[in-house]
Amino acid sequence: MEPIDEILTEAEALELPTEPMRLNMGPSHPAMHGTIRMVLDLDGETILNVDVQPGYLHRGFEKSCERGTYVQVYPYADRLNYVSPMLNNVGFSLACEKLLGIEVPERCAYYRVILGELSRICDHFTCNGASAMELGAFTPFLWLLKVRDWIWDILEKETGARMTHSFGRIGGMAAPPTPGFKEDVRAILPEIRKVIGEAEGLLLKNRIFLDRTQGIGKISQERALALGVTGPMLRSTGVAYDVRKDHPYSLYDRFDFDVPVGTDGDNWDRFMVRMEEIRQSMRIIEQALEQMPDEGPINVDDPRIMLPEKREVYDTIEATIAHFKLVMEGMKPPKGRVYSFTEAGNGELGFYIVSDGSGTPYRVRVRPPCWYNLQASREMLIGDMIADIVPTFGSVNMIGGECDR
Amino acid sequence: MPSFQLNGQTIPFEKGDTIMRAAWRAGIEIPHYCWHPGLSIAANCRMCLVHIKSGRQMQMPIMRFDEKKGAYVPDTKPKLMPACQVEAQEDMEVDSVSEDVEKAQHSVQEFLLLNHPVDCPICDQAGECKLQDYWLDHQHDLKRKRTEPVHKPKGVRFGETIVYDAERCIMCTRCIRVCDELVGDPVLDMRERGNRNEIVLAPGRELDHDYTLMTEHVCPVGALTSRDFRFKARVWFLKSVEGVCSGCATGCNSHVDYDSRYGKVYRLRPRDNMDVNKFWMCDDGMMTYTEVHEGRVTTATIGRGDEPEAVLPEEAIDDVALRLEQTEGAKIAFVFSALHSSEDNFALARLAEAVGAEKRYLAARPDWKGDDILRSADHNPNRAGALAAAGGELEDTEDLIQDVMAGAIEAVVALGPTCEEEVDQLEPLLKLETLICLTANEGPLTEAATIVLPVASWAESFGTFINGKGIAQTFQRAIPAPAGVDPAWKTIAKIAEELDSPLGFNRVADVRAALAESAAAATPSVAPTSAAPAPAE
Repeated sequence: MEPIDEILTEAEALELPTEPMRLNMGPSHPAMHGTIRMVLDLDGETILNVDVQPGYLHRGFEKSCERGTYVQVYPYADRLNYVSPMLNNVGFSLACEKLLGIEVPERCAYYRVILGELSRICDHFTCNGASAMELGAFTPFLWLLKVRDWIWDILEKETGARMTHSFGRIGGMAAPPTPGFKEDVRAILPEIRKVIGEAEGLLLKNRIFLDRTQGIGKISQERALALGVTGPMLRSTGVAYDVRKDHPYSLYDRFDFDVPVGTDGDNWDRFMVRMEEIRQSMRIIEQALEQMPDEGPINVDDPRIMLPEKREVYDTIEATIAHFKLVMEGMKPPKGRVYSFTEAGNGELGFYIVSDGSGTPYRVRVRPPCWYNLQASREMLIGDMIADIVPTFGSVNMIGGECDR
Repeated sequence: MPSFQLNGQTIPFEKGDTIMRAAWRAGIEIPHYCWHPGLSIAANCRMCLVHIKSGRQMQMPIMRFDEKKGAYVPDTKPKLMPACQVEAQEDMEVDSVSEDVEKAQHSVQEFLLLNHPVDCPICDQAGECKLQDYWLDHQHDLKRKRTEPVHKPKGVRFGETIVYDAERCIMCTRCIRVCDELVGDPVLDMRERGNRNEIVLAPGRELDHDYTLMTEHVCPVGALTSRDFRFKARVWFLKSVEGVCSGCATGCNSHVDYDSRYGKVYRLRPRDNMDVNKFWMCDDGMMTYTEVHEGRVTTATIGRGDEPEAVLPEEAIDDVALRLEQTEGAKIAFVFSALHSSEDNFALARLAEAVGAEKRYLAARPDWKGDDILRSADHNPNRAGALAAAGGELEDTEDLIQDVMAGAIEAVVALGPTCEEEVDQLEPLLKLETLICLTANEGPLTEAATIVLPVASWAESFGTFINGKGIAQTFQRAIPAPAGVDPAWKTIAKIAEELDSPLGFNRVADVRAALAESAAAATPSVAPTSAAPAPAE
């Protein structure tokens, strides 16, 4: 029987003349993870150059913040990274609290850590599931996303919304934990561990998956640092930078967890870093559940910041006044400016807030991790094949909502 | 200038100033309800208590709850003094933020809210209420009392303009003092004591003097509300520009409060100006905002009597230009308006020059009842400005009627709707084939006009009024004019454009620059008509 592939020697191989081709990908393409346009220069299937063009999604998020009260920013913050909105909620809360110079009660801080880490698990599962799917592996995608549903069930029970929770408040949370919160979270953790093992079993020895992730979409440590890349993408190049570890905020200095790093900065490393981070998040959650007090206040006790109890609003003039002042004029932080940053799903999420002393932010500037990570995608794609674009772009995990500017 | 220390800050004062007044001049607010810079000192609200740290210290014996012992124990605290009543002394040391003072402010605030009804959602004052502001600043917790509050009369009609709610009242007596001291008509007083206290009318009287709305203006809470403004708008939706009252030649400074969503002016508020109106405005002045929305002319019409034909403003302007061209310049009369801004009158003067008209008149409202508080007997906001802009002496509208009857005039261009005459006295003008009226409101002249051109009212344009004392005061545009309607100076500039003698006025700044250049404006040739307010009748 003749071999299917004829092995040609170099002398026998034909060099067909090709001309560079220009191809538009997106902005409205189902695989483009939000409306991003890529203008590709191709030599055959090889990418010679790529121009990544965000900006097709524009809601004027930062400008919109300048007309309401501080609390009215939460729905916008939700929609920055809508895959892990709770982390944005917490990030914005911490920025405002830094501006006010207050700290939330311990119980609230633990609550925020647990909800935030659950969101991070969601974010990573979604990203890794999608990465697998983009290489044709649909089963792992569904397998991983079922975890997201479990977590969303908990978040729905706690916040009332599966996705855009708007649950954070300056100086606390919108509601205290539900009575069964700890049990609910404890119940799903072993299940999540099981799913991770199963997903890894499905993928990590799969020849196609290995070939199409290892060495694809590489970025060097130097370039990643130069471009301001953060989060799992930076850690996949070997830099162990994690805001939770390096600039501990909230209660993160109380937990024992590791920062996983990769070596090559390719799609494989990003996948593996995220998988390991899920495990580390679960470690944090377990410790937080252990340490979190069951009783105690959730919100700071200051009527200039927190809304009063609804019952009091109906019954007493003092609470009516407080409600009125906070709703109509808003919480009034002192004059000043603050930069506060946290580790969100994709890296360092920073809020720079300028206050003129009124109830409306003078300026809210967001440092969204995806914006900087997106800048690196051009360098990562050049030299790869056209079929590598979607999985690589998927593992960058660009969230359109954050690149609104 | 002597000075004292307030919270470590040096505050200069004049001899006789209280601590409060000196701080107020320096732009520092010491919390207060009953003190008002334009009224006498009552010192009854106790909100402005401060600690005077210099001089002899007095201690008050008190009972303090000792948590360790679980019982009250005797203690002392410094005696605090009302900042509104204590005269400032050289090198006095005053503390208005110490713990003792904050405790006092907290207690006063709790006391004032003790029987306050839960009315914020339906109260007009919400949003500009001192009780709300100070609760957030100085109390910020719930009162300890949990029993039913004392109930008192609500919605008491004090007169045509004011409604009183005794439950909301904090008995600061500002309204009583306005009636006593500003108006000299002591129609309000207080009855009962303690939490039965309420403000009442003098027997057989109503609150019906000319400054009733000032009682509402000084009320720091929602006890007195204006029947005109009641339930019309929520104050946090209102925006504000600086206005000048169009009611009389005093030219009281006002805040024009409007809602930009609806393009509607809701009320005026006095704007402090020590040279003109101090802190006050009269009721008629406060109500001048209604003329922005009532009796307005918003469409251009051609024709007189029962069947004026509505046309587009451009068509009317074309028609005006055509008629002015066809009429001999010397036979065109220009009527300036003491109600319109100097800018509008100046543009009209330029148009008169352009067509070569020499006959100039001034239309003004007849004098009204002045008083020795604010009201000038001259019922017009800008007589001096109109005379200055027209650049000389103007004849009055009676002369115009005489000249029309004598046949010296074939066409009239009039600014503004009003003149001293009633409609039936204007009959000679009905013989004219051309009587052009540029106006924002309906009036005798629009009745007699053959062409009516709508123009912006004072709330819809920038402008300047020169008051009876010769003080020029500018006012700002609050709301946009109705569609297709321009300020009068712009409409006049468009007419001049049609006549091929453009005035070069595109923005109000152009008019003002030309007005300033004009020698007439530099030296007003006419003495103010009512320099001294006429005595009340």
